[in-house]
Amino acid sequence: MFTTKSFIKKNKVGNYLKHVREHYIRDDIACGLQECESCFPVESFLSPDHENKCALFEFNHYIILDTNVILDQMDILEESILGNVIILHTVLKEVKHRSLPMYKRLYNIIDNPSRHFYVFINDHHKGTYLQQKEAELVNDYNDRCIRAACSWYINHAPKCRFIFLTDDSANRAKALQENIQSLSVSDYITNLNNNSSLTDKLSRKDYHAKDAAKDVFPNHLTNVELLTGIREGRLLQGTFRASRDNFLEGFVSVDSYEDQIIVQGRAGLNRAVDGDTVALELFREDDWVCPSDIVLEDEGVEDENVDDVISKENELKRETKKKRGAKPTGRVVGIIRRKWRQYCGILQGGIDGVYQLFVPADKSIPKIRVETRQAEFLRTQKLIVTIDSWPKHSRYPHGHFVRALGKIGDQSTENEVILLEHDVPHSQFSEEVLACLPKMPWIITDDDVTKRVDLRHLDICSVDPPGCTDIDDALHCRPIDPEKLEVGVHIADVSHFIRPGTPLDREAASRATTVYLVNNRIDMVPELLSSNLCSLRGGEERFAFSCIWEMDHNANILNVRFHKSIIKSRKAMTYEEAQLIIDDKTKQDSVAESLRNLNKLAKIMKQRRLANGALVLASPEVKIQMDSETMEPLDVEVKKLFETNSMIEEFMLQANISVAEKILEVFPDCAMLRRHPVPPSLNFDPLVKAGRHLGFEIKVDSGKNLAKSLDEAIKKDNPYLNTMFRILATRCMLQAVYFASGAFQKEDYYHYGLAVPLYTHFTSPIRRYADIIVHRLLAVICGSDATYPDLLDKKKTTDLCQNLNYRNRMAQYAGRASIAFNTHLFFKGKLQDEEGYVLYVRKNALQILIPRYGLECTLFLARKGETSNIFEYNEEDQTQKAGDVVLHAFDPVVVRLTLDSNNIQHEKFVLQLVKPVVDNFSVPGIDQTDDNDKKRKSPEPDKKKRKKKKH
Amino acid sequence: MSKNRELLSKIGLRLDGRRADELRRIRCKLGVFTEPDGSAYLEQGLTKILAAVYGPHQVRGNRSKAQHDAAVVNCQFSMAVFSTGERKRRPRGDRKSTEISIHLRQALTAAIKTELYPWSQIDVYVEVLHADGGIYPACVNAATLALIDAGIPLKEYVCACTASLANNDVPMLDISHQEEIIGGPTLTVAALPMSGKIVLMEMSQRFHVDHLQKVLEKALQGCRDIKHILDEAVKSHIQDVGSSTGWANTT
Amino acid sequence: MALCEAEKTFVLHGVEENFRIDGREREDYRPMELETNIVSHAFGSARLRLANTDVLVAVKIEVDVPYPERPREGKLEFFVDCSANATPDFEGRGGEDLAVEISNSLAGAYRSPEVFDLTKLCILKGRKCWKIFVDILLLECGGNLYDAVSIAVKAALWDTRIPLVKSVTVDGNNIDMEVSEELHDCQKLDVTGAPIMVTVCKIGEQCIVDPSAAEELCSVGALVISVSRNKFSTILQTGSGSLHPQTLLECLQTGHKVAQRLHDALIETLVDIKPSENSVGFLR
Repeated sequence: MFTTKSFIKKNKVGNYLKHVREHYIRDDIACGLQECESCFPVESFLSPDHENKCALFEFNHYIILDTNVILDQMDILEESILGNVIILHTVLKEVKHRSLPMYKRLYNIIDNPSRHFYVFINDHHKGTYLQQKEAELVNDYNDRCIRAACSWYINHAPKCRFIFLTDDSANRAKALQENIQSLSVSDYITNLNNNSSLTDKLSRKDYHAKDAAKDVFPNHLTNVELLTGIREGRLLQGTFRASRDNFLEGFVSVDSYEDQIIVQGRAGLNRAVDGDTVALELFREDDWVCPSDIVLEDEGVEDENVDDVISKENELKRETKKKRGAKPTGRVVGIIRRKWRQYCGILQGGIDGVYQLFVPADKSIPKIRVETRQAEFLRTQKLIVTIDSWPKHSRYPHGHFVRALGKIGDQSTENEVILLEHDVPHSQFSEEVLACLPKMPWIITDDDVTKRVDLRHLDICSVDPPGCTDIDDALHCRPIDPEKLEVGVHIADVSHFIRPGTPLDREAASRATTVYLVNNRIDMVPELLSSNLCSLRGGEERFAFSCIWEMDHNANILNVRFHKSIIKSRKAMTYEEAQLIIDDKTKQDSVAESLRNLNKLAKIMKQRRLANGALVLASPEVKIQMDSETMEPLDVEVKKLFETNSMIEEFMLQANISVAEKILEVFPDCAMLRRHPVPPSLNFDPLVKAGRHLGFEIKVDSGKNLAKSLDEAIKKDNPYLNTMFRILATRCMLQAVYFASGAFQKEDYYHYGLAVPLYTHFTSPIRRYADIIVHRLLAVICGSDATYPDLLDKKKTTDLCQNLNYRNRMAQYAGRASIAFNTHLFFKGKLQDEEGYVLYVRKNALQILIPRYGLECTLFLARKGETSNIFEYNEEDQTQKAGDVVLHAFDPVVVRLTLDSNNIQHEKFVLQLVKPVVDNFSVPGIDQTDDNDKKRKSPEPDKKKRKKKKH
Repeated sequence: MSKNRELLSKIGLRLDGRRADELRRIRCKLGVFTEPDGSAYLEQGLTKILAAVYGPHQVRGNRSKAQHDAAVVNCQFSMAVFSTGERKRRPRGDRKSTEISIHLRQALTAAIKTELYPWSQIDVYVEVLHADGGIYPACVNAATLALIDAGIPLKEYVCACTASLANNDVPMLDISHQEEIIGGPTLTVAALPMSGKIVLMEMSQRFHVDHLQKVLEKALQGCRDIKHILDEAVKSHIQDVGSSTGWANTT
Repeated sequence: MALCEAEKTFVLHGVEENFRIDGREREDYRPMELETNIVSHAFGSARLRLANTDVLVAVKIEVDVPYPERPREGKLEFFVDCSANATPDFEGRGGEDLAVEISNSLAGAYRSPEVFDLTKLCILKGRKCWKIFVDILLLECGGNLYDAVSIAVKAALWDTRIPLVKSVTVDGNNIDMEVSEELHDCQKLDVTGAPIMVTVCKIGEQCIVDPSAAEELCSVGALVISVSRNKFSTILQTGSGSLHPQTLLECLQTGHKVAQRLHDALIETLVDIKPSENSVGFLR
């Protein structure tokens, strides 16, 4: 059977076209019921053995869902209690159209055989296809199709019973009229036997308070009003960002406005949640206010009383009215798109009953009201909660509990929170992925040997941090004639094991990078590869991708070649070991010799690179030593750096540059490269200002000048000053990103930090997916592998880059969050005096950097929003003065460090000034043990450091 | 747009409800016009084609192109300006039309027993009324019917079909316009299905060589299926014509 | 086609006797078949088959900017394509002369605002309007093209549905409009004034309409008269011969009478046509 569908659509150039599409109606679509004898047998997970036990029905039944159930009650569906569910194709399409993430989650359930879900293609089935009537709305049409399919099932399989679940009461009423047994989800779930945990997960969308309830918020405008308002320019559209410190304040960034627009108070925010796209009405200029800098916390308890909010609103008004410098202000009149996600957090203590308040870890998210019967237990746990709705009569958004992560404060719970908050995929590798791994024992066949260059005779070695199990690079260097040296960089040949298009490849591409937490590593590829077959371990024969240069003694590259190889690393060393070998003049073996040569070359290369304007940046990086048994942090220390660190780095940079040139030459359109954009000069303002106050002129017009002025910013009496400048400079930078060469102009390929025109990532394929792609491109160039369609597709590569960039950023944040958590753990209950430096001078506080722990904390001189009566702030010179003590930026201080654990979700350091001594403010130093003293004397002030992962 | 759309859903149906190996609905009729020596109308899905055949007759115009051992096959492909979604500015003369004309001649010359008509010419004109994907194959199929209606001896039916690859894995037959837009490579094959010979093959976009074999196999299968449909149409047409002359009653 | 003298005489005598070679009287048309909504992706369409003359008309619309001198009017454009399917003579650019002649005469016939009201097609004065493309495809030529084309065009315009504009917003130079995507929310065009063309052929001393191909060969001259709302909109003389003013008047009278009858019959038919589920088209 055959029919057509017609509709009018606007095309790109603004013309209207009438489209006609074919729509085939089939007679070979099966109902999926095992009991059915009239339909063709098809693969179906529906099973007569599964029982849905609902107290309302004394018989077993199949369930048919309406679209709204899937969109709103996904958390219920994901519990493996409901089974034998029939998903209609109409519903599936609607879900996909409305929310792609929901569609994916739904498909995960459908694909799971133990859940007994089946997709019935009702819209192509000749018994259930309906023609859309003239003037019928799409929604009504879909509802009609869904009901028709229900009736068809009832007639088709008279022996089976079917229950139709929908939260749309109108649809339910019509279904009942048509003799379809129909229920709302909450009625069904509450009557389910053993439902205790399920009811908590019910979405609270159709919760209605007593009619008498007073509205807490103004109405939102309707969609049509919003759209016309925006089109006519009466309303503005923007992204809402809530303030972290003040629950009654937020900002909306609107494209056409330079300043963010302030929204304040209950009515001003009007139920916007951080990240939402909102419509906003701008006030007249007389009503504009300036951003407050007071802290207001929502201390409300579970009831709808808003008196405390009103008093706080008044406080806020007083605070913002009296000052000058008002900024554009407005109020939110409607929500265009919600950006709700799942939130981590805890329950607020001290509330009885089934209604509980959930406090998200992210301070920019409001508290969420949830209904639970297990509050006692949940209070000890970190939870995930999602928002369902925010009716205007409710002070808090309504949400439901999704799942518990574990006990509050546990290492494993906190790791889970960090991974979730940063969207790091961290589930176990699936069976499907593991099936792609090579079978053990893995041996090198003769065939492999003929396809690769055998380099097993070379004295190759690797140098890595201690404890590293995923060794992805190794080097060698040997003289080939008196004038020339051969230098080889050998990178683990991961692309040999990860074939394009396999589940393993897809998983790695989605993970994009290995994530390093303090005591945990979330691998991009399964351990067998990352720590064994791909890891270039000492003494083992391994596959590698080699980049081999011939260099003269001045480190000039004479030529370069790339090929796949077999290597056998002589030794896997740590940076420290390698350094010892180089320094130990008695060692004369070939490994020692090549290390010395490499080191010599590296120094020349680095010198040359810096002369070209490469930046030496700094960010305090720390290592946390863990007790291997209790998994508690033993010590926090700044990572030690050796000459060998920079030696390895130099060669990796060179390999990446050489490879980048090669792949761009052959694949001008789809080479995966990495660029580091030049930061806008505005970004450098804090750096330039800080320099000016200290009498240095920091030139930022080019990378070269910046590098030069940073080198010159040295003060004899403050050896750490230069590092401070570099830390500040690092913060001015933009993120380096991956891109497909065809997507940008050649001049945009530039890598600002490294000062090279072309750069890519080639040297860490075990932990970065970008490198795998680069390996594949290079393998095609060497003729050792074939291309595949996606590799040469510019658009696919661009999409991939977007994911890689996102995941990398998130991995970096997750790593930092993990370090912060463990540093807190380490300081729990400790009281310590530490040396630090003033990073910024603020009106009521000093921002202090403590290099030893890589910590940056605020030393409050007065309460927030107030000015101190001891210190005198000089805005012009950026100083704080108390008596004869003057504190400048970058001045050394000694501070006392304690951890404030009052708020278990947001522990923070509290600083007190020890030195310089200020009467009535500073505290006397605590007696130090000798041991502590010693440590404090050598904070290794001018160790410059570069973060390798940055580039 | 292509991001959210997949050519073949997880349940194995295409956007229009076909399975991967199914052709679109083909409907056709021979002898739609009286003026030409042979004519045919063919619908493949929504793609609609009119074909007309004049000849064999004396070579028109430039006599020098006449061949002493075979007939000259002259083809013209033309698209009605309203045949596409967006209105075309002119019906023929653009590159694409010229290319299709040449390809048509190539495929038809391979099927016509041209050696029977030396010094003469056969004109084949095709007009696209609605373009909804797979224009060239539909033209070949319509032209075959028109040639048969004109009574021109053929070696065998010449049929054409497109095939593509869904989700980088499953070969897919007879690509509609909607599917063409979503993307993916398209392989067009014109073949003599009974002998299994390929007379024309064309590929659009990049196609990885690993997939070629199975896609080609699928396209040939499509040509064979089309041949059966055309054959049925020809038989019923002859029966109609025959019965109206009373000729069918004698058997 | 070529006729010998005897055949021509036979045709001539038949006309004289008001009994033409195919049995018609002088003011009779041959049978016509009309089908509308035959091109599903056009906004309106019609196919007319008049004996062996086959015309397919499709209407497409675009958003355009009105002519500066007529800011309140939309646009209407005719394009004729002579398919080589009709005759090998039309191959390549062979049909272009005929095509231009027909499209020009159509454009002329529709030019007057009383014939076809273009102001209905204006969306925003001076800024946006609908442009209607009437595309005519000649599939087979069996004589009397003008009449067939004019009827088919009128039917196609009758069938045309213009999408309903829901809102128009002006933002500086940017004009944004929203159009209903539902097909049933469309406005129809008023085509009662759309002209009908009648070709009046002079054979011997008599005037006939709807000449067959053989009769066209015997004619000394012909007049194409387009009539709209009882008024002539254009008159075009074709053929090689010359006409006496008196004959011309007779022809006009005949044409006017016939056109009026044709118009009434056509409107009656169009009102009667039921929207069918599946168009029959060329499969019949």
